[in-house]
Amino acid sequence: MVGSGASVLKRFRSSQLGGMSLPDYGFYILCATAIVLLATQAVLHPSDFAQILVFGVTQGAIYALVALGYTMVYGIIELINFAHGDVFTLGAYIGTAILGFFSLTEGSFTTINLIALLLVFPLVMLIMGGINVAIERVAYRPLRNAPRLAPLITAIGMSFLLEGIMFLWKGPATVHFPDILPQASTTVAGVFFGFKDVFVVVVAAILVTLLALFINRTRLGKAMRATAQDRDAAQLMGIDINRTIAATFFIGALLAGAGGMIWGLYYNTIYYQLGFRSGLIAFTAAVFGGIGNIPGAAIGGLVIGLTAAFSDSYIGSKWTQVVIFGILIGVLVFRPTGLLGMRVPEK
Amino acid sequence: MVRARGLIVLTAATLVAFACGGGGGGGGTNKGTIKIGSDLPVCTIGGQATANGVKFAIDQKNSAGGVEGFTIAYQSFDDCRQGSYNADAGVANVRQMLDDNKFLGMIGPYNSAVAKAEIPIAAPKNFVMISPANTATCLTIDVPGCTYHPADLRAGNPNNYWRVVTNDNFQGPAMADYIYKQLNITNVGILDDSTVFGVGISGSFETEFKKLGGTVAKHSEYKKEQTSDFKAILTGFRNAGAKAVYVGGTDDQNICIPRKQMKDIGWDVPFTGGDGIETTDCINQASGNEVNIYATSAGADATQVPGAAQSIADFRKAFPGANDFGGYTMQAYDAANVLMAAIGRAVKDANGMPTRKQVRDEMAKTTGFKGVIGTYDFDQAGDTSLKIVSIYVVQQVTDPAKSTGVCGKAAKNACFVWKTQFDFAKSS
Repeated sequence: MVGSGASVLKRFRSSQLGGMSLPDYGFYILCATAIVLLATQAVLHPSDFAQILVFGVTQGAIYALVALGYTMVYGIIELINFAHGDVFTLGAYIGTAILGFFSLTEGSFTTINLIALLLVFPLVMLIMGGINVAIERVAYRPLRNAPRLAPLITAIGMSFLLEGIMFLWKGPATVHFPDILPQASTTVAGVFFGFKDVFVVVVAAILVTLLALFINRTRLGKAMRATAQDRDAAQLMGIDINRTIAATFFIGALLAGAGGMIWGLYYNTIYYQLGFRSGLIAFTAAVFGGIGNIPGAAIGGLVIGLTAAFSDSYIGSKWTQVVIFGILIGVLVFRPTGLLGMRVPEK
Repeated sequence: MVRARGLIVLTAATLVAFACGGGGGGGGTNKGTIKIGSDLPVCTIGGQATANGVKFAIDQKNSAGGVEGFTIAYQSFDDCRQGSYNADAGVANVRQMLDDNKFLGMIGPYNSAVAKAEIPIAAPKNFVMISPANTATCLTIDVPGCTYHPADLRAGNPNNYWRVVTNDNFQGPAMADYIYKQLNITNVGILDDSTVFGVGISGSFETEFKKLGGTVAKHSEYKKEQTSDFKAILTGFRNAGAKAVYVGGTDDQNICIPRKQMKDIGWDVPFTGGDGIETTDCINQASGNEVNIYATSAGADATQVPGAAQSIADFRKAFPGANDFGGYTMQAYDAANVLMAAIGRAVKDANGMPTRKQVRDEMAKTTGFKGVIGTYDFDQAGDTSLKIVSIYVVQQVTDPAKSTGVCGKAAKNACFVWKTQFDFAKSS
């Protein structure tokens, strides 16, 4: 028995019970327990529950946007792009810098605010896209055929580099992001939510839908899917691999830039190490949903946002990290490919 | 050109200094240089404002002829790593000072967790440390609940650590008293940042608040690298009936971001805490929800000490920047002067360059020191006889330059305004 841990695990994973594998039972039992526990709370304190749901969905929407960038890059070149979280933070930093040029009115909503928002939001997305393509060109492309660990290390290096740039630029303290969204808020059946909450969720949903359409309906999207499936075969079919990979980085960073802007507009406080934590959480979300799987990343982000909010209120904030990663371990043990699994053709 | 000229001036000055040092020896001439360091998180606005106080005191002393014929050279060490205080960085700085025999003492550190790491390496060398801002009780007094003990930190060596501010044994209770008796709030939620300081001060607050008859709705904690959304925690407080929030922690741990998010969940109640939030960075983090942040400060407000106003006015002239003056600038100014007074007496004892032990012995004998934050002694443990805690609240003021509390950077007119003070020396 000693030394056969892997085989025990393999046997465990392939063991069958009434037509379904044992790990699948474990997975469904875990899910069912969580749902029952939450449903109890929902029945006992419906308005509190709904309130926490709102917090969870808004947080989760932002994580989802960042997680998509991780999962797309992993899907296409099997690289965990550790710098992605910092690209997200840099988006917020650049956003606050550009917004500084407008004479904005904070705490209320004016025409200038609206114009600034409509101009700066896409601009930041494009800038971040450009930066991420440059990062890919400098730090990852030369290492594409190197051993797998080499680009991983340059990715970590890039992460520190971006953090260092933000540190030198604005210093270590928290940086203020202009508060320019409408302040309107309302209480529906004991649940308090504002325009900002709606804004976050709607913008994130629109972006994710656009991404899904792009990947499934366009030629470049098709090229990305083909490259993800088999790079060599795709090349033989006449797909420009470098261009396709660069496009993946570009689109991933568009979403990260949007995520940074949304974060700034929503929380109004940013700091240079934000990407480390948010990046780790988003990466977890990507793995959770099944790395390389695009709907998986979006769902993973939402689930982690909700888990964090529920854990903060029902279990205790000091346990939140433990709960999130405990669930991750649970999911990966029972379902190594993540929540939705690696749906290869779509990664 | 400019650079070259600067070099010539410097060389000339050095030559003059050498000439005096070599040829002098008598009465008023320069006997040499004694170094004083400071170990503060100067990467933060509050840390730099504190270092300014040390620099101001030393410049003033040097232009008045130095200490007993010695010129004081000041070097500011930074104990920040990655943008917030770091005990390892502090230890490395103290080692650097210990390696240079000319360093006879230091001002600092600013954060209690740093002091806890530095005292054990400084104590065996009789190296005087005077903190302008440490408030963690266990650094000097062994009280129930201490996870580390003052005697262990000093490991049998004579005490080498003093502080000019009072400790959290008074800071936490002062706010508890204020909330319960003055604001008439009997139910609070407590949030701490999981640091030595944050856990300590929120604990002493909680004990006192319960003793008064108050209820603690919930005590939650977070870690900077793990939490950026506090809305679920805050909603938990509100649902449990809290009518105010008390936070134990410091601004570099993002302790005031929850203040901003209270507005996002439409919860308008007082936000209170210790001296870790009486800072510019805290006001910045509250972005848009600054008013009604209540903070304690472990010392008297300048307006309450006769004669202090003049020192502050002089300081503002020398350091005119909007954020040059902070909550602990005058404490640092006093700490530097206490140290220089002890060095002066030690010079007399030694009739020349004193040893670190002589400075330590003289420091321990300090009595009736007249500073800008009051007149005070130190006890055996290193604590000041001043037991004053001030309460400040953020309000919109018309002239921030006249404020004795710190102001915001973006919100320039949001300043901490002095409300009242508790004198625990009188009441006990």
